[in-house]
Amino acid sequence: MGTGPPASRIAQKAKKKPPFPFFAPVYSLLAGWTGLAFWLLLLLLLALYPYTGVSSVALFVGSQIFVLVTLASNWNLIGGMTGYVDFGHAVFFGIGAYIMGILVTGTPLLISPEWGFWQALPASGFAAALFALLVGLPTLRLKGPYFSIAMLGTLVAMREIARVLRPITGGGVGLNLPPLLNRLGDYYLMLAVMGLVVSLIWWIQRSEFGQSLIAIREDEIGAEMRGINTTLHKITAFMIAAFFTGIVGGFWAWQNTYIDPDVVFVEARTVEMVMMSMLGGLGTVWGPPLGAVVIYFLQDLLWGNLSGVHLLPLGLLLVVIVLFMPEGILGTLGDRSSTSLGRLLSRVGRSR
Amino acid sequence: MTSDPRPLLEGRTVSKFFGGLAAVNNVDFAVYPGEIVGLIGPNGSGKTTLFDCLSRLQKIDGGQVFFKGRDVTGARPYQVARMGLTRTFQSVRVYRKMTVLRNMLISHQWRDTSLWRMLRPSPASTAHRARQLLEFLQIEHLADEEAGRLSGGQRRLLEIGMALMPDPDILLLDEATSGVNPTLIETIKDRIRTLNAQGKTFLLIEHNINFIADLCSRVYVLNYGEKLAEGAPLEILQNEAVIDAYFGA
Repeated sequence: MGTGPPASRIAQKAKKKPPFPFFAPVYSLLAGWTGLAFWLLLLLLLALYPYTGVSSVALFVGSQIFVLVTLASNWNLIGGMTGYVDFGHAVFFGIGAYIMGILVTGTPLLISPEWGFWQALPASGFAAALFALLVGLPTLRLKGPYFSIAMLGTLVAMREIARVLRPITGGGVGLNLPPLLNRLGDYYLMLAVMGLVVSLIWWIQRSEFGQSLIAIREDEIGAEMRGINTTLHKITAFMIAAFFTGIVGGFWAWQNTYIDPDVVFVEARTVEMVMMSMLGGLGTVWGPPLGAVVIYFLQDLLWGNLSGVHLLPLGLLLVVIVLFMPEGILGTLGDRSSTSLGRLLSRVGRSR
Repeated sequence: MTSDPRPLLEGRTVSKFFGGLAAVNNVDFAVYPGEIVGLIGPNGSGKTTLFDCLSRLQKIDGGQVFFKGRDVTGARPYQVARMGLTRTFQSVRVYRKMTVLRNMLISHQWRDTSLWRMLRPSPASTAHRARQLLEFLQIEHLADEEAGRLSGGQRRLLEIGMALMPDPDILLLDEATSGVNPTLIETIKDRIRTLNAQGKTFLLIEHNINFIADLCSRVYVLNYGEKLAEGAPLEILQNEAVIDAYFGA
């Protein structure tokens, strides 16, 4: 006992650098209950927003952003926290969309009477979760890039299946949903779903279940050897992520009033989810929502000014994120020694 | 050491093949409650593979494994872990991006963990036990460090702490002293003795012969996947076949 561990000095040297001064208070406020309190306050403000007499376009933009935030947060649960980088997550979006389309149009399957939106929406989620269970059991055994590729394959396969199953899905012609426009209803529905999903991720992250997901990401064999039923935890996370992605897919189909295989089973949507999560901060609670908002406005800006080549700067951005700030905005600001951009910024700060 | 007639952990004719290579071949193996047993052998003799077979990380190709009298041959690693068998790894496995304390917290006993408990943050009792163990291993000052920032030796101590968290009956330590400085080795040795006096059983893979000779009551020697010898440390060290295997004829 008497001999103090000499290695303690090494740890002193490796001590984490504190966050940037201006960001430090924000960063500590985001952790724990205050973070949730801010989130609920923001939700309240967003709920009051339509009362300020905004146009229906603004409401539409709002619901689009909520969709992106929900998708990014969902993807983050499996891709960021659990470490299973899912390059085919849009498959759950597509399944949700198709379940919605098939149930509310009714005609292809001769379902009569057709389902209402509120009946079909949970069905979209449950169908996606069930599909996640079936696909996850084999694919979640794969590690790293093999899982990513298997999920990408699943997405492409489902697109072709939707194209071929013409009697049910309408094939390449697609499905036309009843055009019932309700911008205000859409706004509030997606606000509620987004509020629920992000709060859920916040809850999961601080629970033992969430910590076990991070443990699986960091060392799956170690987690299994220390008593965590890794298969069960991974599948559960995957199904939760799929459920809400399916809900969003179903909603999107309803709002868009038209679906076909090429608009719902798209790789670009997965890439978007990955990019939003990475930009904000992979595996953090508030990073992916932040990333989603930034990406939305960036996309909007690029679309308006650089139509035709607007994807180019987005692709470059992805490369820049991966190279210089792999831990995203929140990660870089929170621990500046962890990414090269953070180190660069603190060096600039010192020389001044 | 007092030996219970019933082994705590037992392998019967355990075999494991990698292609045509018999990594472990027909090994009979038993650890009794309260023992400290050593497992030695030259590099590539199958020690870690045998560990993997006993802790269920590797499917075995022949034979059976019993733990606490129950056949666990087909069990998954998390199941034997919940029954009371934990281990460390030759190449340390800690959760690098998590703090030392969180590493400890998440390694609690998962047996009978209710769904409600899983949906909550770790309770204070778990944190209390974690801090006690960190203190016991003299790394409590590192509790809030990211595990990836620790030195090799500190990580080994942390991994032992994580293996102790669920209050196991037997600990399998795979080269707990490799890469660790002599002072720390003495600490580890001291801690193993204390824990053993409290009733914990140990199975150690070691290259450090002094470490084995100091601690173990019995030693198994593996060579080319087969059991070469078995007995008290001093007998083993004078065994002709063992000397041959280690130093060549």
